[in-house]
Amino acid sequence: MSPYPHAREDRPPTAASRGALTISDLDKSFQIGGQARRILDNINLDVRPGEFVSIVGASGCGKSTLLRLIVGLDTDYSGELRLDGERIATTSLDRGIVFQDHRLFPWMTLEQNIELALLNTDTPKARRARIVADHIALVNLTGFEKAYPHQLSGGMAQRAAIARALVTEPRLLLLDEPLGALDALTRVHVQNELQRIWMTQRSTMVMVTHDVEEALYLGDRVIVMSPNPGRIRHIVEVDLPHPRDRRSPLLHRLKDEILAELTSGADAEEARDNLVHLPSREVR
Amino acid sequence: MATRAFDYQILAQTGRTFRLERLPLSSFVAPLALLALWQLACLTGLFPPQVLVPPSGVAKALADMTASGELQRHVGDSLQRLLIGFVIGALAGMAFGATIALSQLAEAAFSPTFLTLWQVPVIAFVPMMVMFLGIDEPFKVAVVAIASFFPMALATFDGIRGVPRNWFEVAKIYRLRLFQLIRRILLPATVPAILTGLRISLTRAWVVLVAAELLAADSGIGQMMEMGRQLFQIDVVLAGVIVSGLIGFLLDRGARWIESRASRWRTA
Amino acid sequence: MNGWLARFPVRAAIGLVVPALLILWWHWRTSAQIATFAPPAAVGRALAELLHSGDLLRDTLSTLKRAFAGLAIGAPLGVAAGVAMGIWRPVDRTLGPLLHALRQVPMIGWLPLMGLWFGVGEGTEVIVIGMSAFFPSMLNSHAGVAQVERRYLDVGSILRFNTAQRIRFILLPAAMPLVLTGITQALAFSWIATIGTELLTGAGSGLGVAMSQAQVQQRLDVMLVVIAVTAALGFLINQIFRRLRQSLLRWQPSVQ
Repeated sequence: MSPYPHAREDRPPTAASRGALTISDLDKSFQIGGQARRILDNINLDVRPGEFVSIVGASGCGKSTLLRLIVGLDTDYSGELRLDGERIATTSLDRGIVFQDHRLFPWMTLEQNIELALLNTDTPKARRARIVADHIALVNLTGFEKAYPHQLSGGMAQRAAIARALVTEPRLLLLDEPLGALDALTRVHVQNELQRIWMTQRSTMVMVTHDVEEALYLGDRVIVMSPNPGRIRHIVEVDLPHPRDRRSPLLHRLKDEILAELTSGADAEEARDNLVHLPSREVR
Repeated sequence: MATRAFDYQILAQTGRTFRLERLPLSSFVAPLALLALWQLACLTGLFPPQVLVPPSGVAKALADMTASGELQRHVGDSLQRLLIGFVIGALAGMAFGATIALSQLAEAAFSPTFLTLWQVPVIAFVPMMVMFLGIDEPFKVAVVAIASFFPMALATFDGIRGVPRNWFEVAKIYRLRLFQLIRRILLPATVPAILTGLRISLTRAWVVLVAAELLAADSGIGQMMEMGRQLFQIDVVLAGVIVSGLIGFLLDRGARWIESRASRWRTA
Repeated sequence: MNGWLARFPVRAAIGLVVPALLILWWHWRTSAQIATFAPPAAVGRALAELLHSGDLLRDTLSTLKRAFAGLAIGAPLGVAAGVAMGIWRPVDRTLGPLLHALRQVPMIGWLPLMGLWFGVGEGTEVIVIGMSAFFPSMLNSHAGVAQVERRYLDVGSILRFNTAQRIRFILLPAAMPLVLTGITQALAFSWIATIGTELLTGAGSGLGVAMSQAQVQQRLDVMLVVIAVTAALGFLINQIFRRLRQSLLRWQPSVQ
């Protein structure tokens, strides 16, 4: 059952023909205190249309910066960023993003917030209300159309943000730690929602998260990054059908592997150096 | 006193800080251009001297009055009233504000009356006070005192009430004595609000003083301006405008400086 | 609020103690010979007299008209200036220092100057009142626009907003709380300025004029009535605006 009765019939829900992201030799540096600090180093990635890619890594590995570059909020980089062959030069309605803080406009109702995304599309005005209602239904928020953001719970607001990002039917949806601000129970719930939405829509999604389990549960591939400077360390293929089973042994094994990787090696050494050594007390 | 915090917030927002050191040259363009235009307009005789006097004329008036000592006398008188009235009013305001902040009973008893009186613009009290006190020094000092009293009381009230409960709990955990509590927690916590209140009171008091002097006085900047108006001496009036503005500005800057020195631990 | 003080009737009663004492003291004092004091009863009579003669109504309407005229000119101009200064740096650079310099002069200090230029009349007063409304509106609107959070502007960028859309959907609504604060201040200041200018000019009709005349006639009873009316009106206007503000800012999480 398609939640998009208005959707174009030539796009079956099982395959996507657009939304191929190509990242080649991407480098990014920031000027911090007069010194150039390399944040991203030699990032190479090909995301297939309709794929769900998760990115995990410790803080400081440039994950969020990478997303900002892809969405076009930051255009200062060297290397190549292309969506379906077109160079990414600025923001576009073809690339949507969901932030960790929902960023719904507090002064507008849920409905108005979502409809706002359609402002600069050429969707006919008459159809907008319908499209908005469909997307509100998609994220299971029917009934809350006239609510203001401060009246919504964290999980609801985040779902609303997802609806707003999807309403323009972007070729690529980016998610920057979308569930990071939610409590554990809500997180599980919204993860399920996200999976369901993706299965229905099959738009290309790239999600950054610090939760390895979440990355494996949702992603077709998990990109493991290491910090200082941000590099792709390892790419894990998750060859399991959707919808996924959380109890799957493969998921747990992969999770252990990735966690071991993240906490071992150079990262761990750095972490050890940061420990404060307290004088030991005598045993009484 | 539900209106309290809200209204005080309003009072606190009258100021804007821009750093003198960082003023780009371009910001002097408009004022300088205006001055130049002004001088030009007068030189070309566009306006008769009763209506507009060139900046050079105003400068001359200022110079004359300084030479004759008249300007100093007016400024001195005004500032003196300001000082005495402000000290009285601010101290009274602080005492009152602290009392109603610390005692629920006092708040219940006095705040309705206080709130009601606060609704009356201070300036509305002027005729009544002239009736009782005449136009001598006591009247002017009283006006300044009243104008300083209200904002100061509000600021003190907010400052004391604004100390977060959590901080008292921390004091309890560390078992601080009353004296230490006051010195280490209460005082630093309330000083910023009180200093802001002092600044707002001071600048308000200055404005009210000039207004009161305009209405009824025998000396002072305000009176100087009013006399100038009645004698059609526009250069004197303009000189008064500039001087009163300058003093107001200096008072505000000075108070802000003191505030920033004392409140360095605050981030907001 | 602890225990017995929290009960409203108790609180109201305590609140009335001070005014009651004041009135009693006042009454007791006026039975002494101080000529300028007027007993409370006389004030009541004066009120009736003023209402009956229609003077009070006439003066009230005059003052209100003036105040709103000044507000209607000064506040919108102030908001526009503040918003413009907040959005476009060049405007801020050029207008900013000039306006801040002008702001330092006590509002009422402009009156003698304006009086010389435009003559002592209705127009002059409205201009000064307008100036009193202008500055708080400008300051707060500027601050309102300046504090709009970057993350909302990011969303606007992602949704491909042009400048007009950015102003309409993000900047103005986000700045609205402070803009309304500015207008609240403008209300207060223009009210004060109205009374002040009426006191100074002393001609025509208006509450300030009435006060000034009462002073000349040494009629404390009339003066007290007028002061009370001034206070009540100021309070009322403030309350009405607060309701308006609350309904305009319905979207804010209720914090105060």
